[in-house]
Amino acid sequence: MSFSDEALVATGIAKTYGATCALRDARLTLRRGRVHALLGENGAGKSTLVKILVGAVTPDAGRVEIGGAAASLGSVPQAIRAGIVPIHQHLSLFPELSVHENLSAFALADGGLWARRRLVDAARAKAWLADVGLAVDLAAPLGSLSLGERQLVEVARALSLDCRVLVLDEPTAALNAGEAERLFTVVRRLCAAGTAALFISHRFDEIEALADDISVLRDGRTVIDAAPVGRHSRYELTHAMLGAGVEAAVPRPAHRAEPVLVGRGFGGARDGGTSITVHAGEIVGLAGLIGSGALELAAWLAGAASGAGALTIAGEPIEPGNRARAAALGIAYVPADRHAEGLFAALSARRNVSVAALGGLARFGWLRRAAEAERVDPLLRRLKLHPALPDGEATTFSGGNQQKLLIGRCLALPGLKAMVLLEPTRGVDVAARAVIHDAIRDAAASGVAVLVATSDLDELMVLAHRYLIVREGALAAELPRAAPRTVLLSALSGSLAA
Amino acid sequence: MMSKRVPFAPSLPRLSRPPAAALVCLGLFLLCCLLVPRFATYGNLENVLRVGAILCIVACGQAIVIILGGIEFSFGASAALASVVTVMVLPAVGPVAGLVAGAASVIGIGLVNGWLVGRMVLPPVIVTLGTLMMASGAASWLVGGLPLDAPPSAVFSWPARGRVLGVPVPILAAVLACTVLHVLLAHGRIGRLWYHVGANPLAARLAGLDAARITLLGYATAGAFCAVGAIILTSRVASGQPALAPNLPFETIAACAIGGLPLAGGRGHVLQVVFGVLIVAMLNNAVVLINLPVAWQLVLLGLAVLAAVGLQRDWAVLKRLAGRSR
Repeated sequence: MSFSDEALVATGIAKTYGATCALRDARLTLRRGRVHALLGENGAGKSTLVKILVGAVTPDAGRVEIGGAAASLGSVPQAIRAGIVPIHQHLSLFPELSVHENLSAFALADGGLWARRRLVDAARAKAWLADVGLAVDLAAPLGSLSLGERQLVEVARALSLDCRVLVLDEPTAALNAGEAERLFTVVRRLCAAGTAALFISHRFDEIEALADDISVLRDGRTVIDAAPVGRHSRYELTHAMLGAGVEAAVPRPAHRAEPVLVGRGFGGARDGGTSITVHAGEIVGLAGLIGSGALELAAWLAGAASGAGALTIAGEPIEPGNRARAAALGIAYVPADRHAEGLFAALSARRNVSVAALGGLARFGWLRRAAEAERVDPLLRRLKLHPALPDGEATTFSGGNQQKLLIGRCLALPGLKAMVLLEPTRGVDVAARAVIHDAIRDAAASGVAVLVATSDLDELMVLAHRYLIVREGALAAELPRAAPRTVLLSALSGSLAA
Repeated sequence: MMSKRVPFAPSLPRLSRPPAAALVCLGLFLLCCLLVPRFATYGNLENVLRVGAILCIVACGQAIVIILGGIEFSFGASAALASVVTVMVLPAVGPVAGLVAGAASVIGIGLVNGWLVGRMVLPPVIVTLGTLMMASGAASWLVGGLPLDAPPSAVFSWPARGRVLGVPVPILAAVLACTVLHVLLAHGRIGRLWYHVGANPLAARLAGLDAARITLLGYATAGAFCAVGAIILTSRVASGQPALAPNLPFETIAACAIGGLPLAGGRGHVLQVVFGVLIVAMLNNAVVLINLPVAWQLVLLGLAVLAAVGLQRDWAVLKRLAGRSR
């Protein structure tokens, strides 16, 4: 390859947020005229890398070159001026304004506060629309267009700039197959004219249809760097995303007992929906890649999300989405997003744990603090909370210790019958992970039904007694504990075993 | 990784650290004693406390709403409505039942606010602004826009002017209100739940709490505190006034903010309310004593709020920076 082929080269990119390291050593080389697909699981650092490229986040270390010259991407406008144009998953257009006004957004943004609202020349705007194959009225309000057409307007707007790199962050998430194909045609045409494209998607079909090269991120590092499409099989790519197995402790065999958590008909009418049963004392691993619907299914089972279907907890039917009732029946829940959905950041560690058990700790509305400490502190000791300060505010603990608080909250739930854990060790260090895994195994051994939904294959393999594989919002397969990694990987990616 | 070290967590419970507002309060007190003539007299200090008492009682209610992550604008209007209702039913039912009826209307508005914020998940600013306007309009309509005098009665004037063992009733009521608030917040199960809902409403729901009911109870309890304040106010003016205390919600929010309650919710201690109220009351009193126009009270109060919130923010920013550089 000649030097001038490289539209963008990023090397040694690192970024740390507080205690979590999002990127360690990421590399990315985008070539002119080629579509480059970026793959990676949740937490691999993909979105951080994209944010760095479009100027929304400043990296701690690393170097970005555009067209062979070092570039500083301090802000989004700066990156756009350097020719890196993002096309977002959530459209960054203005539905109330006309197509013409939307196409003029960059020109208006450059105009300063007191500039006259001047639209770009209509002939030029029409030419951009023609380039993306859109034949819509310039005066039409953007809101009257379909989602696919709006995405194309966004691409057309990118043409108003000297666009060297088009960053497509899951552009097809909201599109149907026809709309997606139309977008791909436009992207291919733009690339033929010398633009480079970075394409983020979770769908192998799309990647194989559109991309020329593939890179894979795992744990903040580039593990496959710009391999041509076709060099690696889907299975190998999935393997690269999820990592090789390290710890392989054999879980205790489950003594199958009465069903505790029973959900039927999740996801509505199609084939009567998905049904799931978790028995007392077993750990069921619910596995699926991002976007597969595994997390949604698990949240629904915990009563945390409403939706069609029938839920039964220990023989008692409950209405989906009634989380308070599910908790009263002994279903503990760890949500996937620790900060937004789980942690009470302003409250102490002890209070974060005791919240689910307050009913039993109060007499006539008067909280017995001694009883609270007596119930919670042994749990915190068992989970090795560090530093061992139950009165410390939750924000002052590291991610792994914050996660221990959520696990502790589960264990403190009175009448605990089942635990539904979403990504229980995401962004958690190795030591905390081992403690959390031990706590989960102990709970199961004492007869609690456990459902672990995660995209972390290593975690599943050291915990689960059986695996349920979710693809496209439905159960695709059930595999026994003995299933080898290769079988799991191919079940996850939806291809035949290699 | 180097950043493995976990930042220092305070091992002392929040209670044993004096709120920063206490120091400001002490400083302001000494300053007033030195600079403001006739400030440090028994009569004036009792007056400061008597005026501050009503503010304190209502601020206790405001504190609950703020801990819940909300804000209450309807207190002044509902107190006005309470005074009007009291004086209107007074001839028929007598002073005690009249005051109870007025108080009930305040609690009723609190319940409506709590239902709209908790169950219907509407923003507290809009909800309480809406009920503010409705209560204010209703009070004005009931009396035709003009104050309505109450017939003189010893029972009726007791809440504002009575004394028990030589201590004015409003001051006793304020002490009682602070005690009740402290018990609720520090020892009550419902108080604990308010902190949880205020700190993270989504997490509270997912942990199995009935956030809607907890919110409803919070606004209703806040209404009850305001009702006590409304009784004393009505008794003091001895009339039904549709424009009784238009600044009450702002003064209570100011007192909470100056005391150090973060408006983001999830935190707060009764002492912060007490010191915030004392600072506001002393400021107001000093403006009168040094012969500034009374309108200056609001200007100074606004400045104090901005300074307090600005300082809190700066502290947080400084702390975070210090944590990062480590």
